[in-house]
Amino acid sequence: MSDGLPSRAARLRAWLEERVPVAPLLAVAREKRVPLHRHTIWYYLGGMTLFLFGIQVATGILLLLYYRPSAGEAFESVQFIMTKVPFGWLIRSIHSWSANLLVLVAFTHMFSVFFLKAYRKPREITWVSGALLLGLMMAFGFSGYLLPWNTLAFFATQVGTEVAGKLPVIGHFALRLLRGGDQVTGGTLTRFYGFHVAVLPAIATVLVGLHLVLVQQHGMSVPPGVAAAGKSRGEPGRTMPFLPNFLLRDLIGWCAALGALAALAAIFPWELGEKADPFAPAPAGIRPEWYFCWMFQSLKVMPNLPMGIEGELVVILGIGAAGLLWLLVPFIDRQAETATGGGVGRIMVLAGWMALAYMAVMTLWVYVAPGGPG
Amino acid sequence: MKPLVLVPLHLFLLAGLAAAAEPQRPAPGPGPLETSCVQCHRDLDGELLEPTKHTGDDIHFLKGLSCHDCHGGNPAAGMDGDPTAAHDTSRGWTGKPSRKVIPAFCAKCHADAVYMKRFDPHARVDQLSEYRTSVHGKKNAEGDERAAVCVDCHGVHGIRAISDPRSRVYPTNVADTCAACHAKPEIMGRYFIPTDQYAEYRRSVHARALYEKRDISAPTCNDCHGSHGAVPPGVDNVASVCGSCHGREATLFKETEAKRNLDLSACIQCMVCHSNHAVLPPTDAMLGVGPESTCTGCHDKGEPEYEAAAKMAAGLGRLTQLEAEAQQLLDRAAQAGMEVGPDRFALRKARDQIVETRVLGHGFDLDRFLAAANEGIAAAEAGVTAGQHAFAELRTRRIGLALSLLVIVVVIVLLAQKIRQIEARKTERMG
Repeated sequence: MSDGLPSRAARLRAWLEERVPVAPLLAVAREKRVPLHRHTIWYYLGGMTLFLFGIQVATGILLLLYYRPSAGEAFESVQFIMTKVPFGWLIRSIHSWSANLLVLVAFTHMFSVFFLKAYRKPREITWVSGALLLGLMMAFGFSGYLLPWNTLAFFATQVGTEVAGKLPVIGHFALRLLRGGDQVTGGTLTRFYGFHVAVLPAIATVLVGLHLVLVQQHGMSVPPGVAAAGKSRGEPGRTMPFLPNFLLRDLIGWCAALGALAALAAIFPWELGEKADPFAPAPAGIRPEWYFCWMFQSLKVMPNLPMGIEGELVVILGIGAAGLLWLLVPFIDRQAETATGGGVGRIMVLAGWMALAYMAVMTLWVYVAPGGPG
Repeated sequence: MKPLVLVPLHLFLLAGLAAAAEPQRPAPGPGPLETSCVQCHRDLDGELLEPTKHTGDDIHFLKGLSCHDCHGGNPAAGMDGDPTAAHDTSRGWTGKPSRKVIPAFCAKCHADAVYMKRFDPHARVDQLSEYRTSVHGKKNAEGDERAAVCVDCHGVHGIRAISDPRSRVYPTNVADTCAACHAKPEIMGRYFIPTDQYAEYRRSVHARALYEKRDISAPTCNDCHGSHGAVPPGVDNVASVCGSCHGREATLFKETEAKRNLDLSACIQCMVCHSNHAVLPPTDAMLGVGPESTCTGCHDKGEPEYEAAAKMAAGLGRLTQLEAEAQQLLDRAAQAGMEVGPDRFALRKARDQIVETRVLGHGFDLDRFLAAANEGIAAAEAGVTAGQHAFAELRTRRIGLALSLLVIVVVIVLLAQKIRQIEARKTERMG
């Protein structure tokens, strides 16, 4: 630029900047800082969840190119993807493994947020949108499980949708809504496909957008104990720049996750099983995906109560009530601002540990019970 | 006012009128267990007591029949212990029938279609006419008291329905029932009939199916020899008997006879290779010219049949070996996580061709046999190739994974270095 004129690239950047102003966003990102303390590690889980969600979107779109959502063709099309499509086995296996990792990471993210009390004011809506997103991820898992139309998926869906049918008042409606009739048929498959690739992604886009905007606006929450300790020492909390320090660390995590997914897909390709036969008897060991096992086992072991109250109904209502309470956690724990969290806070922490222990025990029970998957 | 003394008279007249108004019913006879036969014989000893012990499980009693329905007499008379009135010859009392007349004795009812249909609309009524065609029936007609009659197989009293697993003629019990006579040299000796059939049968594939797999459709004595028309299958009709179940083999066998204008009945029949009672599970080694071959029993080296048998055995051997190899490869590939469902499905063709080829061996048509074997060999070879491809693909995946992980590790290391650089620069600036 010896003649003092801007280069072609600089002119192009200026042209673009004028039309798509990215600089203000970059400036905000450069200003963004992430608190540094002994719990900082948990901050990476949100980004990891988002990364895995991105993997799901990308691999899902690729699978869509070959998948055929009908009872007559679904299994064969997945078999075609696994055997004939170049790298089809890799894409499908990564999609399935990533789905499981996504739910695991999202669960861990949610419990870390819960125990660090990151849901407290003004992040109540961030919590609600996150909790709804976790439910949405499980719905993605449930609807996606049926799509290969194999025996296990068919009967697991039959059992899963039966649970919806037990709901008081709206049970029959919910069952027919999910199945597209009274039985699990090809109609159910088409419907689940619709949920999986259109309805749920549309809702997820809105919720993920809202969740991310709120996270950017409110920044990372510092746990009350850490904040109080810093305040008592009279020191401002340590931070690190989001761009590039935190993002580079995020990238390391994402690369590691990608490596883990590649290894899982190559060493343990997601199996396809046998094509579903609606007229065959249900095989032994039918169970849902691991993240539904705690609910499945609760339904299985709950006996009927006196006065003709169905055990299953009690479990369904109990899980429904627990889910609602979970969603309302920020509004119940109003003393979360204090370092100790107060009486309600301590009860909340105890309840969180109990919920975690309950889910772990029930899930393990499914895997270690005689005739179980293990 | 009527005198009180007349009241009993009125009552008596009223009762008489009421009795006269009721319709006259025939007096019902005694129930099956209430007959004078049962009542008296219960108190007797030995063989006269014996029949009354089986009234609870005998099919006739269970159907509402009693002693007099077979033996005649008056079941209502002789309740006082006097047998003369009950043993009323004018009412057909016969007592114990002689062995010679037993078939006709049972056939009084069992050959009467109208009577038998009262109990079972599908009841067969041809047993006596069939029996008369059998060796048993012919000997009986000649007056041979030792020839088997109805009661020898079905029992005398305590006869159970043939569908009752405790019946002596239930499929799993038939061989023992026949062996009760046919395995005894002291009985069969006088007829010059061998007695090893039962022992041979118990070693057979048929007996294994019947007793070990509890498959009651598996053949036992009467399935080949007939139930009542027990005729030993002659050499000229063994193929027909075996062919009643093994239809494809029998058809091929007969086709060969027709095509070559031969009568093979004199020299070859099923039993020459497979034996008759000891039908052992057939093996592929029976075909060919090896030590277990049945072909070499008739054909010597140098004969075209000998050469054909050798070629057949080689074709079938290659097919079974390739099919097993393909199966094993695909199983291992599936265990390694490879999706080989379509290849496994395609390999079924080879399996089908093994079955087809084994059956075609009964047609003695070398070209047809080898064509079927080659079709299976092509399918099996495709299976082996598919298995090998699966393992090659598996190796490629592992190599691809290793390279990807290497790239990922390098990227991670570079990122970590970048972070260190950035943070070192910042520390320098602050310092």
